[in-house]
Amino acid sequence: MVLEVKGMKFLLDRKYYIKDGSHIWLKKEGNLVKIGMDAFFARMTNPLTALNVTSKQVKSGEEIGSFESSKFVSKIYSPLSGDIISVNDDILNNPQKINENPYDSWIFVMKPDKNVEEDKYIIEEKDKILKWIKKEIKRFEAGN
Amino acid sequence: MNLFNLGELNWRQTQLIYHALAYKNIEGLVLDSSKNRYVCVSLHQNPRDELDIDYCKKNKIGIFRREIGGGIVLLDNDQIFYNLIINRNHPKVPYAPDNFFRKFLQPVIQTYNELGISVEFRPLCDLIVDGKKISGNGGGEIGECKVLAGSILLDFDYKLMAQLMLLPNGIQKKFLELMQNNLTTVKKELGFIPLKKNICSILATKFENLIGPFTNRRIDSEINKKMIELNKQYSTDNWLYQRGTKQIGKEVKIREGVFLFYNLFNTQKGSVESTFEIKDNKVKKVTFSNSKILSHIAKKKLLDKFVGQKYDKDNLVNEITEWCY
Repeated sequence: MVLEVKGMKFLLDRKYYIKDGSHIWLKKEGNLVKIGMDAFFARMTNPLTALNVTSKQVKSGEEIGSFESSKFVSKIYSPLSGDIISVNDDILNNPQKINENPYDSWIFVMKPDKNVEEDKYIIEEKDKILKWIKKEIKRFEAGN
Repeated sequence: MNLFNLGELNWRQTQLIYHALAYKNIEGLVLDSSKNRYVCVSLHQNPRDELDIDYCKKNKIGIFRREIGGGIVLLDNDQIFYNLIINRNHPKVPYAPDNFFRKFLQPVIQTYNELGISVEFRPLCDLIVDGKKISGNGGGEIGECKVLAGSILLDFDYKLMAQLMLLPNGIQKKFLELMQNNLTTVKKELGFIPLKKNICSILATKFENLIGPFTNRRIDSEINKKMIELNKQYSTDNWLYQRGTKQIGKEVKIREGVFLFYNLFNTQKGSVESTFEIKDNKVKKVTFSNSKILSHIAKKKLLDKFVGQKYDKDNLVNEITEWCY
């Protein structure tokens, strides 16, 4: 299942973290969660020149790393509380792969803390994702 | 909005001030100059990959790793630094970095124009006079704020900049030549350097026209405390030499669209050093060292293939790697 908006694809087999302009996808795999960036991020940051993950244990909403595009450094905020158990070095060394294929380019895998309520900025379902992405496109196209 | 018109500061303070303001969520425009020369790398650069550290140490050139983007810059007393610190949810802050630079560099362009230098914006964030760069800029998010950092180049020590870069000798010379041809200064354009306080006054007025009235402010104890705290963090080797993104080869940028790409290709027979001179994103010149590995014919074929073509690093690396094996 795929949602397509202005040539950007949003896979519906995963959730999205949307706080403060974040464009992070989360895919549950057993008791772990694989995390990467979505198609809007891939288009906005093309080419991505640097990517780094600096934390190992985080709370939801805390800074977890950074990326650089257009000589501008932005921060990555964690969608979950928990431990980062694996980082994709290939993507850190070749961040442009996210621009080319965002959903195959996972950045890190987390083991979420148990009994922690899911962040209210995590969304799923087609209608919610569509509403959010349309708002993001409008914001971008306004140039402001 | 606050105006921190600070005059000359110790080199570390010129970086610490805007980091501290951003972390304290204090919006403002900072104008200052450094008493001492130093080199500043961006967040994702590792000085060990980019700089001749021994040369910097011998010549007492400090190194600072900032939290925002851009590239390596040599900073000294012949520059005026401007830093805009603005909350990321401020209604005047554009969403996309391209628009952020385009909008907040307008006051800098207007300042150059008022000085009599006709400057235009070139994406991503260069300011250009007759094809030559006169101001480099970078930006990023720190805490709750977005930050623009750049400088008005009054004069520039081209030779020193080339010397402190970690580049093979021949490439260092090429880098120097490219800088001299593609980077200009206020002194070169006007034949003299106007008073710094006059330039700062114009900058402040132009920024004020864009973002609203300023209130003059100094570094108070609250800001100073944050600067001391950050100075401890940024002084550690752990911070300074943190791993950057590993790239194939080295791109040394002069201005947007003009740079050198240098790479050492390791083959079964030995290594081949290659340098590509890029202008307006097209390959202008290619040089190869070690003719024993690449035959004369192979070299000519590669030159014919690349010179005049659009620069595509991945394609170029793949083609040469194939030839080498």
